[in-house]
Amino acid sequence: MDIWQRIEKLDRRWIYLAVGVTVVLPFLFPSPLPISITPEARSLYDAVEALPDGSNVMLVYDYYPAAIAECEPIAIAALHHLFRKNCKVITLSNIPYGGPSMAERVTRLMGNKYGKVYGVDYVNLGYKYGYVAVLSGMGQSIESIFPTDNSGTPLAQLPLMDSVKNYSNIAFVFEIADNATADYWVSIVNAQYGVPMGCGGTAVMAPKFYAYVASGQFVGLLGGMRGAAEYEILVGKEADAVRGMQAQSLVHMLIIAMVVLGNIGFFFSRRRLKRGTA
Amino acid sequence: MRTTVPIVVAFIAGLLSVVGFFFRTDTFLGSVRQEFLVWLTIVGGFTLLLGVVSIVRVNWTAVVRKKPGWQYKILTLVAVFAMALPSVLPSSKSPLLGRAEGSIYDWLFNYLQSPMMMTMFATLAFYIASAAYRAFRARSPEATLLLITAILIMLWRVPMGEAFLDLLPGHIAQLLNTYVMNGVNMAVQRGIIIGAALGAASMSLRIMLGIERTYLGKS
Repeated sequence: MDIWQRIEKLDRRWIYLAVGVTVVLPFLFPSPLPISITPEARSLYDAVEALPDGSNVMLVYDYYPAAIAECEPIAIAALHHLFRKNCKVITLSNIPYGGPSMAERVTRLMGNKYGKVYGVDYVNLGYKYGYVAVLSGMGQSIESIFPTDNSGTPLAQLPLMDSVKNYSNIAFVFEIADNATADYWVSIVNAQYGVPMGCGGTAVMAPKFYAYVASGQFVGLLGGMRGAAEYEILVGKEADAVRGMQAQSLVHMLIIAMVVLGNIGFFFSRRRLKRGTA
Repeated sequence: MRTTVPIVVAFIAGLLSVVGFFFRTDTFLGSVRQEFLVWLTIVGGFTLLLGVVSIVRVNWTAVVRKKPGWQYKILTLVAVFAMALPSVLPSSKSPLLGRAEGSIYDWLFNYLQSPMMMTMFATLAFYIASAAYRAFRARSPEATLLLITAILIMLWRVPMGEAFLDLLPGHIAQLLNTYVMNGVNMAVQRGIIIGAALGAASMSLRIMLGIERTYLGKS
């Protein structure tokens, strides 16, 4: 077996080891690199910044726990921005698998940091089955869809919800998604009720969302951990996403190097095979 | 009868929902539609319950009959009840009940379920690296184009790669955003979105008219 065949048939365990090392190394020896801001992230930040202080904003946790690494930094950065502007935050989730719990945990954590009071400055509506029905129904009456908040308190007992009856009382929707629920927010909430929206999504979903940015239905977009890092920089709270980008940088470079190496091996093996058979 | 009644119900419900969309909620049809939306969330809650019943029945049967892997099914059953029961009981009885911070459900979610799901997702990085190494080959002009585009986008999306692209002439990073993500990618995504929407509309029409009957368990 020559060197090219060896490269082609490299044991996958070496690849796993290389990935493991490149993920861990940047956390042991941090070496930050500058992260440029994409126009999509900038426009989302500008749209939130342009909201009048104290506006009602819906922050939607439409992601599964598996996507926490990418999506939670977006939620935290968004809450820094919103609470700093004294916006009233209404959270909900269309994901039964932990969505309301993540919304509760992250929003309470950030609310406590900014001295916000539950029920007055922020509310967690929780989850209700059937996102099409939920999103359509809230257009007429949020209370008809969510009679209580996530912990069972009637909305009538929450002062914030006195002034929030339907989408006409919502100034902005900040959707964080790792799945196609964002499509329904666009087609129902933005298209039918005209509520301005921005989105942060996993890197794998972001390419799809570019179509909504171009159509103006999303004012901006944060794609994956990179998008989260950009928003952290924009709000001046560099944290997990900025740190994570160092590991992601190295892993991307490793995968590119492996793809190039694999193709070199493939190219020479094929050439040798052609010569041998010619 | 078992076929006709569900089809009639689906037709009436679908028709009222579609027509009601064009009316304000203070009109009869608009209010009917709004009521239907509330019903949908309630009925949907029961489908979740049906899911729980189904998973319990399937796993319980496997345990009783000692089918291969029955030990794991005991774990599944324990997990279902350990998560579900404390979360549906009222928190007024004990702070460990309900779904609030500090409850059993909250603890299990934050310290077991979330880390397990994150771990499963994180292992993808290893498989993707291995799969990319073995399968991402420039076997044809189309595959080569895809390969080059993927490498450039991967470079562009990370600071280290972006720093490398900036060394090259021609503002490659901006060109990638303008022409690949906001150009070719966006056009393709629009096609997929519009296609999926048309497909959903035609499927809804088929269900309303009784042409599509697979939801009744019939082909």
